[in-house]
Amino acid sequence: MGGQACVLYGAAEFSRDTDFAILASQANLSRLRAALAELQAEVIAVPPFELKYLRKGHAIHFRCHASEAAGMRVDVMTKMRGVDTFAKLWPRRSTLLAEDGTSYELMSLPDLVKAKRTQRDKDWPMIRRLVEANFFKARERPKPKQLRFWFLELRTPELLIELAAAHPELCRKLARQRSLLKLAASGEENDLIEALSEEERLEREADREYWMPLKSELEQLRRTRLHDG
Amino acid sequence: MISAEQLVGEELAEWYSLTPQERWRESAKLWEVYLSLGGSLDPEPDTQSPFFDPSAPSSRPVDGRAGLRVIRRGGV
Repeated sequence: MGGQACVLYGAAEFSRDTDFAILASQANLSRLRAALAELQAEVIAVPPFELKYLRKGHAIHFRCHASEAAGMRVDVMTKMRGVDTFAKLWPRRSTLLAEDGTSYELMSLPDLVKAKRTQRDKDWPMIRRLVEANFFKARERPKPKQLRFWFLELRTPELLIELAAAHPELCRKLARQRSLLKLAASGEENDLIEALSEEERLEREADREYWMPLKSELEQLRRTRLHDG
Repeated sequence: MISAEQLVGEELAEWYSLTPQERWRESAKLWEVYLSLGGSLDPEPDTQSPFFDPSAPSSRPVDGRAGLRVIRRGGV
């Protein structure tokens, strides 16, 4: 669900860690422990690798020591703000087969975009690129669900205006969910740019608020770890 | 109808047009160069990340060498 997924979906990213969304169940955690043991992965930060922290929305951070993956960082999460539960994510996933026969299970593009709506600067251009790449790939013959996805997630004013002109009915309908689509329909590019910026600001603010109690808990865990040596 | 080239430039438009497998291959090439230069596998410090921990330990470069360092600096 991280940088590697972004590369496969069309964004340009050089990510040095690998992020996984997993099902938080005791049985699955046992399987994950076995896989991490093969990689000789150690937890390198708070919180500890426990189900209760995953269920709260924390990420667990590992570094691998096995020779074929020495130094690799792995982050594991199970709950993300604004993203459905794993049980809903899994059936919607994309499966890609690499040339060496390895298959990769990726969070679906709409879910990945939702997961990227964070407080960090770097995630917002990434969302823009991910949706643009999908738009240019399917623009000629879009499916209804793609049109809906683009209307709700495109962050490129020129493309939103083009889309609104081509599909005015759907644009009107979806403007109830995303009010800035009214500006796309009227072709007011400068106002649309401002509205996109405001939309981003509000999402980032919501993410900061979501993380506030979790960050406090992380700080408390760090203090406890320092105190206990 | 605006083209990908007009919107994002030729380089990124070309990247968009690749298949996932082609992008994966190109990305792997970049990784090979990066690692051969002794690039670190630690993610860049991201102070905006809720996970950011300034006290987190970092790993050595994968090739065990010291990695890139400044030996002469400009005036500014």
